[in-house]
Amino acid sequence: MKKVRKFDAVPKLNGSYKFLDDYTRPNLLYGGFLYAKFHHGKLKQIKFPKKFSKDEFTIVSYKDILGENIVPEPENDQPFLVEQEVMHYGQIILGIAHPNKKKLKQFIDNIEVEYEEMPAITDIEECLSDENNVFGRVLEIKHPAEIGNTSHLIHTKRIYRTPHQEQAYLETQAMLAEYDKEKKEIFVLGTMQCPFFVKSALDAIFGDTIHNSVVETSEGIGGGFGGKEDFPNIIAGITALLAYKSGRPVKTVLDREDDIQITTKRHPSRVEVESYTDPITHKIRKLNIDYRLDAGAFQTLSPVVLSRGVLHASSGYAVEDCYIKGRLFRSNTPSNGAFRGFGAPQALFAIESHIDNVAAQLGIDPYTLRKKNILKIGKEFPTSQPIIENHLEDCLEKVIEISDYHEKYREYKQWNLEHKVKKGIGLSLGLHGGGYTGNGEKILNSKIKLVIEKNADINIYVANTDMGQGAHTTLAQMVDEAIEHPHNKTRVVIPNTNKAPNSGPTVASRTIYIVGNMLRNLIKEVKKELGFDNLETYVKAHQADFPREFRSLFKPDPQAIFDDETYKGVAYKDYSWAACVVEITYDPTTYEINLEKCWNVLDIGETVNPEIARGQVEGGVVQALGWGLSEFFYKKGFGRKQGFTDYTMLTSRDIPELNIEFIHTDNPIPKGLGEIPMDYPAPALRNAFLNATGVGIDEIPLTPEKIFANLEEK
Amino acid sequence: MKFYKPKNLTELFQISEKIAGKKYFLAGGTDINVQIKKKMITDEPIIYINHLEELQGIRETDESIIIGSLCSYQELLNSPLIAKYLPFFRASLVNFASPLLQTMATIGGNIANGSPTADVTPLLLVLDAQIILMAKSKMRHIPLRDFFTGYKQFNLKKNEIIGGVQITKNAETGYKTFYKKVGSRKALTIAKVALAGLKNSEEYKLAVGSLNEYPRRLSKIEEYLASTNTPESVKLEELLKQEITPISDMRSDKDYRFQVCLNLLLEFIQI
Repeated sequence: MKKVRKFDAVPKLNGSYKFLDDYTRPNLLYGGFLYAKFHHGKLKQIKFPKKFSKDEFTIVSYKDILGENIVPEPENDQPFLVEQEVMHYGQIILGIAHPNKKKLKQFIDNIEVEYEEMPAITDIEECLSDENNVFGRVLEIKHPAEIGNTSHLIHTKRIYRTPHQEQAYLETQAMLAEYDKEKKEIFVLGTMQCPFFVKSALDAIFGDTIHNSVVETSEGIGGGFGGKEDFPNIIAGITALLAYKSGRPVKTVLDREDDIQITTKRHPSRVEVESYTDPITHKIRKLNIDYRLDAGAFQTLSPVVLSRGVLHASSGYAVEDCYIKGRLFRSNTPSNGAFRGFGAPQALFAIESHIDNVAAQLGIDPYTLRKKNILKIGKEFPTSQPIIENHLEDCLEKVIEISDYHEKYREYKQWNLEHKVKKGIGLSLGLHGGGYTGNGEKILNSKIKLVIEKNADINIYVANTDMGQGAHTTLAQMVDEAIEHPHNKTRVVIPNTNKAPNSGPTVASRTIYIVGNMLRNLIKEVKKELGFDNLETYVKAHQADFPREFRSLFKPDPQAIFDDETYKGVAYKDYSWAACVVEITYDPTTYEINLEKCWNVLDIGETVNPEIARGQVEGGVVQALGWGLSEFFYKKGFGRKQGFTDYTMLTSRDIPELNIEFIHTDNPIPKGLGEIPMDYPAPALRNAFLNATGVGIDEIPLTPEKIFANLEEK
Repeated sequence: MKFYKPKNLTELFQISEKIAGKKYFLAGGTDINVQIKKKMITDEPIIYINHLEELQGIRETDESIIIGSLCSYQELLNSPLIAKYLPFFRASLVNFASPLLQTMATIGGNIANGSPTADVTPLLLVLDAQIILMAKSKMRHIPLRDFFTGYKQFNLKKNEIIGGVQITKNAETGYKTFYKKVGSRKALTIAKVALAGLKNSEEYKLAVGSLNEYPRRLSKIEEYLASTNTPESVKLEELLKQEITPISDMRSDKDYRFQVCLNLLLEFIQI
């Protein structure tokens, strides 16, 4: 546990680090897409502009696909290219390439698409309130208990809504593809989170036509946040098809506007929570949750988001009688996809807001209600997974203490009676299961490789990418610290599917937690096997043995069993825990919320690199507060946003003072970190507004317009 | 799209005269470049002017401050003259856009773009700014409030350009001042509602942005406030309905915009 500067900090600051658009090739073509500008309809005719010579352009349609026109996903239902029926705005119809970028754009802009319009669902509420739109598997978690007569219990039933969210990575989606005719090999270089996903997409789109596909990431990856989990598959597939057909290298870089319009977003949600609470003991006795996600036109990876959503839906509370149902709803909008939190932020927004609504109904403070119902040793999750530590409660107590919550809670009540501008303080709990859900890690079966070179450098070969989050610095640090090797002699080699074994995707807060722990264990085994104290001395003395390669496989915990049919058992072996307090002021003149302070206490286990860990929490919290306060993508009557002019994320001026503390850092395992800071802050903000005004709004973002409309209604 | 770069003002007018149809004068480019990208401008000729020294700088006369139309927001913020004579104006500029845009965006461009949401215009309106219009051999001054005639429509003669803005040195002196811009966040945001106001014991000056087809003074409310010591909110609301025409769009809702404007007005009255 020490501060190590990110290896990419200096080259990023001096501009020498290469992102995808910095790469070029001789004879390069630029790739672009013709995508649907309507929501649902049958294609009738595509008219190319006469003022261009069509022969100059390489054009691929679904007919050029040599393998299958299906993008590999947890649910294989999305085509790479439209065949007859367009299912959503932004669905790609053609891939087109040309040596001149400007000409390519003009050509695409002037193509006319004739179609027969069909009815479309584009409104979130319309999508999520109509049960006829349900598709895919319905998930249920059942934890029944006989609680007897409920007539003396306090009944609370509310519906909570959350909007889309744009990942807003700095570097837009981009791919460069080359085809080697001799070797029958496709090579793709790109900005992505999951090189092996992209490889499987290439294998799907080419079938047996090619002998091999190789995927490598660009040196720098300008952010992902989940947005580069599955969408790169489509761009890579079509770009590679263009390279194959033209026989020339093709580079596709999405414009920001296209990126925003056609790529995946966070799923909008509608979550109904119904609870029965004992007015004397303050125990929540019964909880029913109906968790709904707008998946967009295709399911793609939404079933997995749904799964994580239902598994986090009861948050950090133990309820005797609990029933959770999760469903996906279809709409004619681009498929929603992975985004930091992966279903958990929506789930936690609902339940953590609900807790405050119940507390208000009971006339008690939100801390007390949380404390009475918190998960601790002796309790269990709705899947019957037992709780083995009281760390969530420790987070709660610590955040209460450092934020001076009780004192402020009292003080602001008085203040608000006497002042126009109100003050509010809100609380929330958070939890996030590290790694793939259930048996996911077992099935993934990750593999890693280390090479100790002749000069005692350690090269780490994994498929996990560093997209700015600092993963490669931290992974290298875990290896060198385990054997006290100099940090500058350890590095992660840029992920390449021909060189690195498949250590799984860079998702699910699993990189440090799963892959990092595997690397640390492997290097420790190597040390034991070779019997060295100092690796450099050892390598010098045994030059003939090096370079030498070491590999290992993921070893699942035989005790951690999850039944995917019944949703019973250990959903996640290790949970990270968090508690949060948000303090706001509210100005009734403009209906604006001002973010003042935000306290975060987290248990993520060992913090390998405390500065990087802190950076992850800061980024996640800001992203979550933006989602809660100002970000929305769709407005009824006005459609979807087109760019950053209207899509308003927080700027440095809007960010509150952040306080971050890690507890239980003596845990020998670093647990999941990347996502949890995105999960919990939005409901704390919402609860702070309730505390300031007495008005509980069950929908985010809390824009001044929404606050005004809610107050008018009341 | 033809692109011109005149050597000086004389050449600018020569080029401009020769172009019969619509043309654009490119200063900082923070609006025009976006409009080109969005294909709102496609074939019209562009005349680049940002290098013309005649339209730059901030200077003083005995009674006034003259701001060249190519003066950027950063220059306004850094100007000792502005800080000395127009501190309220300066303080109100601080939160405009972002440092990047402040460096490029010009005061003349902000006015010429004619956006209903232009940040600087309500402020200039309450400061009774004059706009300096220049032609080949003539120059005239008109009050800025008479410059706008409709959505992106101006009281501008053929081949006239905006040369600058003139504000009297005592424009703020003796007044209580008020400026509030409500956006979707604190910086780098387009105004949803903006209200600027000056008042002293005799008169009120009020201007709004983002609430009409172009930024303008609320003259009926100004007159009413000057005529009474006990303004009634019912009357204010009634007058405001005559003065502003807010709309609902992606950014905001018309009812919200109206109510916030009224709330700000009441706040201004109480200062």
